Amino acid sequence: MSVLECKELCKRYGRTAALEGLSFTVEPGRIVGLLGPNGSGKTTLIKLANGLLTPDAGYISVCDMAPGRESRSLVSYLPERTAIPLWMSAGQLLDFYGDFYTDFRREAAEEMLGHLNIHPRQVIKQMSKGTREKVQLIMVMSRAAKLYLLDEPIGGVDPATRDYILSTIIGSYNPEAAVVISTHLIADVEKVLDEVIFINQGRIMLQSSVDGIREEKGMSVDALFREVFKC
Amino acid sequence: MLGKLIKHEFRATGRVMLPMYLVLLATAVGSNLSGRWMLGSSRSALSVLGTLIVVAFGFAIFGVLLMSFVLMIQRFYKNLLQDEGYLMFTLPVSVHQHIWAKVIVSAVWFIATVLVIIGACLLVAYEGGFWRQFFDFLGQLLGGLQKLKISEALNGTVVLAELAVLMFLCLVAFSLQFYAALAAGHSQPNHKMLWSVGCFFGFQAVLQFGGSMLLIGLNKLELSRFLDWDPTPIAAIHVGLLMSIGVVVVYGAIFYAVTTFFLKRHLNLE
Repeated sequence: MSVLECKELCKRYGRTAALEGLSFTVEPGRIVGLLGPNGSGKTTLIKLANGLLTPDAGYISVCDMAPGRESRSLVSYLPERTAIPLWMSAGQLLDFYGDFYTDFRREAAEEMLGHLNIHPRQVIKQMSKGTREKVQLIMVMSRAAKLYLLDEPIGGVDPATRDYILSTIIGSYNPEAAVVISTHLIADVEKVLDEVIFINQGRIMLQSSVDGIREEKGMSVDALFREVFKC
Repeated sequence: MLGKLIKHEFRATGRVMLPMYLVLLATAVGSNLSGRWMLGSSRSALSVLGTLIVVAFGFAIFGVLLMSFVLMIQRFYKNLLQDEGYLMFTLPVSVHQHIWAKVIVSAVWFIATVLVIIGACLLVAYEGGFWRQFFDFLGQLLGGLQKLKISEALNGTVVLAELAVLMFLCLVAFSLQFYAALAAGHSQPNHKMLWSVGCFFGFQAVLQFGGSMLLIGLNKLELSRFLDWDPTPIAAIHVGLLMSIGVVVVYGAIFYAVTTFFLKRHLNLE
């Protein structure tokens, strides 16, 4: 069973088409890079998979379910923005995730927060932007979800934090689940990906395994991306 | 899940409202003490200080009333329509549960605010023998009630219950009116708050127009010709209250439907 499936998916914002007839599947156990330049439709696709937007045409499903209340208990979503309530302390945030998600692994989250020297009483508002993003990622990755949807997890952070984020993703995701990482910083994520989907102007340009690209094209994903999206 | 949403909503709002209540009660105690020792004092400094404390009490009453209103709007806006919306709308809960959690918690804070203000006013009025007078008054009231007929006591209780239900529903409908405008305004791609204000006044105008048309229509039907009913005063009160409850339920249901529609179908987080 596919964890994420789209068929002829379309979404428009007014007269502008954000997605035009997108079709693909993501299988369990794969780490998939959703790669494309800014404005290519990556965030729209992830929002549709979370039920934050409704499609204009076509079909999207998560674990054979239309996005909604049930599917959300299977999806762990990292938004592009810091969405965790800033007034909460780290401990209150743990309570919050524990209350709403039965798959939340509190001990794992506490351990990861401990590695960052974050005390449960520390208020999120008092943390730096980078630390807030790490805390949000820890919460997302501490769930034993079926699908992780990570929207620009390494955008706007320093290289050391990028390494921390990627190692956290690899070290803590449920191996039976699929991970979709949306980004345009290909060189940084390439090493962790099994598969890539190139997306541009709402259309899929390419879906292939990373090994396939290296063998068939004889180049890295980053080099291929630069060639495909050359201005 | 609704219970969990309500729990976290109280956690988020309690950290603002509870300190406000404490400030109000502290200024109430201060006003009581200033009334006894400061306001009539021959020392002008003490007299000025006493006046300032009483003024602070007035501001505190205004502050808690304003805050319970602002918080009702701000929580819906910030928690559901701003960045936190990305977290809240990806929880395994329904849009209905989100709306009910906000509505119930707002209504509870409105009621708590009124009760705390009454308590604060009693604190200001407190003096030696206050409780004796208070319990004397309660005793007289109960004594008076015992003299009532069963039907009168029953009617009185039901009227009070109807009033309580009406008050609660008014608070719910009042909150939903703001939520509907915010949800509709934030479905737009730009100038979301401006759209929300426009929607608020737009909804008001449509409802007033619709209500007026309904009243004119009912008047033209001359329903009274078909009703051969001369109610007793208490029956008229019951009918009036029940009709008011019905109108408020319809009014609230319209805004609830609008809020749900926009949050479900046209959610457009930035």
